Amino acid sequence: MNDAEQSEIAVHAEPGEVGLVEAHDFVTAEAFTFESGQVMPGFTLRYETYGRLNAAHDNVVLICHALSGDHHCAGIHSLSDNKPGWWNNLIGPGKAVDTNRFFVICSNCLGGCQGSSGPSSLNPATGKPFGIAFPFVTIRDMVRAQKRLLDSLGVASLFAVLGGSMGGMQVLQWGIEYPAFVQRMLPMATTARESAQGIGFNEVGRQAIMQDPEWHHGEYPKSGGPKVGLAIARMMAHITYVSDASMDRKFGRKRKAPSDNAAYNFDVQFEVESYLRYQGASFINRFDANSYLYITRAIDHFDLAAAYGSLEKAFVNVEAETLVVGFTSDWLFPPEQNRQVTLALLRDAKRASYAELATDLGHDSFLLESEELYALVRGFLA
Amino acid sequence: MQKPAVKRTVDMQIIADWVEPRSRVLDLGCGRGVLLELLVQTKDVYGIGVDMNFEKISACVRRGINAYQGDMMTFMRSFPSGHFDRVICSRTLEEVDDPAAVIAEALRVAKAVTVGFVNHGYWKNRLAALLHGRKPRNAVYTTEWFESRPSNPASIADFEHFCAEKKICAVRRALLRGDWKSPCVFRPNLFAGYALYDLTR
Repeated sequence: MNDAEQSEIAVHAEPGEVGLVEAHDFVTAEAFTFESGQVMPGFTLRYETYGRLNAAHDNVVLICHALSGDHHCAGIHSLSDNKPGWWNNLIGPGKAVDTNRFFVICSNCLGGCQGSSGPSSLNPATGKPFGIAFPFVTIRDMVRAQKRLLDSLGVASLFAVLGGSMGGMQVLQWGIEYPAFVQRMLPMATTARESAQGIGFNEVGRQAIMQDPEWHHGEYPKSGGPKVGLAIARMMAHITYVSDASMDRKFGRKRKAPSDNAAYNFDVQFEVESYLRYQGASFINRFDANSYLYITRAIDHFDLAAAYGSLEKAFVNVEAETLVVGFTSDWLFPPEQNRQVTLALLRDAKRASYAELATDLGHDSFLLESEELYALVRGFLA
Repeated sequence: MQKPAVKRTVDMQIIADWVEPRSRVLDLGCGRGVLLELLVQTKDVYGIGVDMNFEKISACVRRGINAYQGDMMTFMRSFPSGHFDRVICSRTLEEVDDPAAVIAEALRVAKAVTVGFVNHGYWKNRLAALLHGRKPRNAVYTTEWFESRPSNPASIADFEHFCAEKKICAVRRALLRGDWKSPCVFRPNLFAGYALYDLTR
């Protein structure tokens, strides 16, 4: 075996895995008008792609991420990564979203903090981060910005657009915004308008951040900022992503230390406390507090019935075929909200289906391993 | 519960014959979408299937059939009156909690309702009950009582009595013999294995 063969083997992906990937930046200098009326002289979107674009440029599958997600939905950046992209179990050669067939694209949303333009980006006019001077972002703005990216890549049409939670909201907006461009929509664990409960949870998270004395009205150095508030927001949010049953199964009443030690203080007593603290601590290393404010606001603001008069009116021009997926244990974006989306599409005589998976893992179910989900997605994309 | 696939060609064909081209059809208890697929292919319908079972819905999705996983009553109540041209209840009625409510709601949400059901009054079932006093086991009843879902079987006489009671008009009917293929003309309650009715208010 000579040297050339050896290096080739090193970069080949394992069968069934996307393997090593790298992100790219799409930079546009064309002015962008937000739904709020504010204007930016261009923006950046960080994105990744897997698979290859076909000759007709119509084998494209777009993945939309949720609140705390990003462009890195499959593969690994380096061999020392702790874990692969957030939807790696769904996306890859021969997987449900088959990168042998499709050119899969995922970008960090506008307003995000993982490379795309957002409140932590430098404002060219001031040379300092935008902070909360960054324009108000809506789901519709996120979608319109993604369209520019797809245009730059020469995408002729979207074979499918998939996403869960906030990603599902983007999926619906895609089908509404660009009816002829989108062939299939696959929104999961989502809604056409978030419930009061959902808004309430987001507000608690925002308050934790904004009441943190280090927030300084959104002006803080990269190394500083309201880390305590952001960590607390994340701890609470994580609870809303799982379920009573799954938390009980994973942690129950297990204690971190022997029970005779330090039983009557406020240090970590239980495994679940330790886990949540860890969730908060690791989140603050990769997420920006201001982005958390902007993105949760975008989620709260999203309301298709209010924006178009009714859900039926919102979907009236949709041409895509849609599969909506709900999860029984999701109490944050419950099945009923996903059913309502489907029923509105069906009342409009659109091609649409609703399937419901019985899980007990809560809202995060759509991210987890499930042969049933893979078969369903595979069948829809066939 | 296994359904006898081999017998089910003529009844599906009759249902398809009664469906108008390019009409809006709702199939309650649609299973894997085989009937809807036939209707789409032969009559170019806009069809939706409703079923409670995830695997069945997944199969419909694979077939490209619109399918809704959920309760049929809640589903129908989400649509305005007369929204569908036809509701089809093919071998579904014997498995629902409240057949009268399902038919009433179907007659509200659609202009016509096609009902297909196994005739419980078929002479072989009566003989089995008389001679053995046990649940019949044959190509139609394929499971033991202890492996079966609860079911509410009806005979042709039961069904026609129901229509008279509720003042439902049976526009046409098709009665098939024990083989579910040949038409049955003589003493249907005794000699028909399967019955199809087309109903309106």
